[in-house]
Amino acid sequence: MLFSVKTPWRRAGHALGLLALIVMTAMGEQAQAAPQTFNTALPVAQGEFVFREQIVLDQSGDDPSVADRDRTAWALVSVLGYGATPELALFGVVPYVDRTLEVTDGGMRQRRGARGLGDISLFGRYTVFRRDRPGRTLRIAPFVGLKLPTGEDDESDGLGRLPQSVQPGSGSWDAFGGVVVTYQTLAFQIDAQASYKANTEANDFEFGDVARLDGSLQYRVWPRELGAGVPGFLYGVLELNLIHQDKNRIGGSDDPNSGGLSLFILPGLQYVTKRWIIEAGLQIPVLQDLNGTGLEKDYILRAGFRLNF
Amino acid sequence: MRIRLLRASIIAITLGLASATAIAGAHQYRLRVDGLACPFCAYGIEKKFNATKGVKAIKIDINTGTVTVTMEAGGALSEAQARQIVKDSGFTLGSFQTVPGPAGKAGN
Repeated sequence: MLFSVKTPWRRAGHALGLLALIVMTAMGEQAQAAPQTFNTALPVAQGEFVFREQIVLDQSGDDPSVADRDRTAWALVSVLGYGATPELALFGVVPYVDRTLEVTDGGMRQRRGARGLGDISLFGRYTVFRRDRPGRTLRIAPFVGLKLPTGEDDESDGLGRLPQSVQPGSGSWDAFGGVVVTYQTLAFQIDAQASYKANTEANDFEFGDVARLDGSLQYRVWPRELGAGVPGFLYGVLELNLIHQDKNRIGGSDDPNSGGLSLFILPGLQYVTKRWIIEAGLQIPVLQDLNGTGLEKDYILRAGFRLNF
Repeated sequence: MRIRLLRASIIAITLGLASATAIAGAHQYRLRVDGLACPFCAYGIEKKFNATKGVKAIKIDINTGTVTVTMEAGGALSEAQARQIVKDSGFTLGSFQTVPGPAGKAGN
């Protein structure tokens, strides 16, 4: 049995998502080398824009429960950054999402899902420490931001209201913050980030707060020797993400089948030129210590580009 | 025949003098930019300098962190100006020098 959602909100979400992408593509001027799963402390030049586009396929399955859940989430994530000063950069993140959940209920396979503009995040990052030397830099930059309830959070289909895990938006105002450290040389780049996201309640549902530690190593594998000018760099990328999420709360009570600890590793490649970057990586779960029958991730595929123009 | 030869000589000398004047008038500066370590960041510096009035050309050598700025004839770049542009790009000016030679000119 297949159900799909067709509402004016969904169509409006499509249009808004497309509009956001067009606007961002037109405004994007500059971007920087950075990890694929989190931020960097590298600078955004004053008065300039940073643009990044990433497509993400988040596949979950391996359900320990009889429902045999299978969740597929696509996201097209557009990031626009602006250098307000050499130290302060402001960012906007606009996701366009397509989420489906398959479950077995009463012997029937059901497929439910929704797509549309997701929740927009706005945040600022301020470089509090910078040590520049020939061919290398060390930077420390705290950041703080807010996730807005811009995505539709009340989608429904023939079976009723969709589960929160496939709604394009959460409906909640969620604050987040952290600090990112970057050490970059001509041969390699290391980024590390600690962050916390405090989720709030909406629709009688509250996602658990998220605490993360992220690390990334980018190592220049080509060219081995640098010549004159500005050659393209091919980086081998290795990232680690340690993520802890509290239990969700439904109607004021903890959901015992949610939250837990996960560790991911991402091997990937990134080719960086003066005008553009292409990158891809596969985020694989190394450890998933989830509560109850929490749905485990199979993998997260990421691919994207950045343009200077 | 002599008149033609004389005319050609005058034209050649005039063009030669004009060319030499143009070269002599084109100031060139060599900057060392500290903190520059990736190609994409280099573009931000290039863009900032190219948006600066009087800049004719810019060449970046990422391996040495060197940025060579060539000014239009009669144009000049001060160290303070270069420092500010590099700072606005998010980096630090390590050194600033005027390039001697045909395209450069002593002093700044």
